[in-house]
Amino acid sequence: MASLLIVDDEPNVLSAMRRLCQNASILPAIPEPTITTFTSPLQALVWLERANVDVVISDYRMPEMDGASFLARVRERQPDTARIIMSACSDIDGIVRAVNHAGIFRFVSKPWSDPDLKAAILEVLAHRRLLLENRLLADEVRSQRDVIVRQKLELERLERESPGLTKVRWTEDGGVLLED
Amino acid sequence: MNPTDGKDTTIDSSASDGGRITDLAWISALYEFGHKAANGADSQLVLQEILEHIVRGFDAESGSIALILDGTTDQLELAAGTDLPPGLIRSMLPRGTGVFGHVVETGQPVLVNGNAAETGLPLRGSKERQRTTHSAMCWPLRVAGRTIGALAVNRAETRPRYTRGDLDHGQAVTGLLALVMANHRMHVERENRILELSTLNATMQRINAMLEDAQNQVIQSEKLASIGQMAAGVAHEINNPLAFALSNLGSLSSHLSRLFELLDAYVAGDDALQPKAAELSHARKLRDETDIAFLKQDSAEIVSESREGLLRVKRIVQDLRDFSRGAGEELRQRVDLHAALDSTLNIVRNELKYKADIVRHYGTLPEVECVPSRLNQVFLNLLVNAGQSIDGNGTITITTGVDEHEAWVSIADTGCGIPAENMNRIFDPFFTTKPVGQGTGLGLSVSHSIVRKHGGRMDVQSEVGRGSRFTVRLPLAIDTSSAMFAEEPDRRAA
Repeated sequence: MASLLIVDDEPNVLSAMRRLCQNASILPAIPEPTITTFTSPLQALVWLERANVDVVISDYRMPEMDGASFLARVRERQPDTARIIMSACSDIDGIVRAVNHAGIFRFVSKPWSDPDLKAAILEVLAHRRLLLENRLLADEVRSQRDVIVRQKLELERLERESPGLTKVRWTEDGGVLLED
Repeated sequence: MNPTDGKDTTIDSSASDGGRITDLAWISALYEFGHKAANGADSQLVLQEILEHIVRGFDAESGSIALILDGTTDQLELAAGTDLPPGLIRSMLPRGTGVFGHVVETGQPVLVNGNAAETGLPLRGSKERQRTTHSAMCWPLRVAGRTIGALAVNRAETRPRYTRGDLDHGQAVTGLLALVMANHRMHVERENRILELSTLNATMQRINAMLEDAQNQVIQSEKLASIGQMAAGVAHEINNPLAFALSNLGSLSSHLSRLFELLDAYVAGDDALQPKAAELSHARKLRDETDIAFLKQDSAEIVSESREGLLRVKRIVQDLRDFSRGAGEELRQRVDLHAALDSTLNIVRNELKYKADIVRHYGTLPEVECVPSRLNQVFLNLLVNAGQSIDGNGTITITTGVDEHEAWVSIADTGCGIPAENMNRIFDPFFTTKPVGQGTGLGLSVSHSIVRKHGGRMDVQSEVGRGSRFTVRLPLAIDTSSAMFAEEPDRRAA
């Protein structure tokens, strides 16, 4: 299951990409793709207010707003999206800005190679999954650390109340020595 | 003071033998001398001849001519004389004194009869000569209102003294003489001018050729720059439709496979259907009329041929875009050119192996600072061209070496060679002799531009029927002022 948002001012590019992403017989296949397309980046931003996507693919040169600015605003709204920029021209400055500002994951030049584009989408999906998983694990570690801290405090309290209670003394043959 | 006033000079208007100066033959002879002078004969000789002619004409014992030196107003030089000791010719006369000085200064002729000192003329310190003067005349030589010198004649004591009338006659004659001399001077000047002009002309021709050369280079680089700019602008417009058309062909091809797969399944199913259902009669009729195998094969070909066409467009746009890029924006590194050549050879070996034997004569090369991918592209272009120039079987020889400041790689083939009339155009964008579809005419121009952006150069030697040799020369040390900064205007423009 992968949700994709594609933005390009050229409708034919959008339908070609939609065909490509939905066609499982052109390998690699994208599992269960949900595809939304916009020719207007502004409308796409409005739509993003109430929808979540995994990957956003944007053209670089568009009349309303360039792809780097668009993806930078997508990042503000949904930092976890994987962002890909596509361009028909190799505008070095624009690409540098896109990388630094919009934190894009991939740059794809037009015309693209079908398998390469799909591989790139799968790759950023995997990358994003890893990031999310990483964060999940980090959260888990943090919450477990909380538990540990709580247990430690309890131990200290018990020790204060009855010193030696939390300590166990072992004999050489593995027995436990009890006071008194 | 007016020293030329008649009262200040002793004038003897009595006995005179002026008959000869009206002699037409004499005037004609004088004219002849003048003609000689105007045609550039030795001026000294002509002047001397004219003087002697005048001395004879005026029945004089001696005579002399003094001329004002070029560039001065009053410095006289003795230019000719009849009874002067040798070595005196060309000597300077003291300024502002003597009869000559006086005549030149005032521009008026002077007649001296008897003691010159008594004429009141500002004479020289040594008055020996003047004291013994029996009779003498001195005329200014004037051309176009300017005094250029003076002429003097002396008569021996055995002859009657000159008269005022002789002085006037002489004035007319010396006018002619002055003209002759001016003509001669002009002739000499003209000769000098012509000489000057021809050297100037030669210099100008040389400069002109240099300018033309420079202009051609400017035109060439402007052409490349404008193509690069155009390409960058057009690339976007072409790449977008190219992108969806190419991708759609992929989707179409995938759809077609599915459709034919489905069709095949139906056809197979129908054959197995017993008994034949009547509802399918229309479908069966259509199937019998249709060559399904042909449709299947042809639609696959249509897709692949269209795809090939679009890929070719893609490559052209890519090549065009390389103009505006080159080596400027990419990372330079120190590269072993032999390794670069070998890796490029690996790529083209398949294309070349049935056409040419590849011979490598690698010299010892230091590492060269360059953009390896770009340089590989140059080698690739040259190797592919070399292969394409060979009809049948040939040899491609790769030689490398190093000069004082440059590393060089030469790729020579035994192919068809380049006709002289194409030599100037081979680096022009879009110039190609290959059949349509085999070359965009951009390979060499892109290579040339890449090498140039590396601060290097590329030259070519070729002989029709024998083969061509392209040599790429790269500087060992990158001259940043020429290689890097030269890119600045390009980049700003783009």
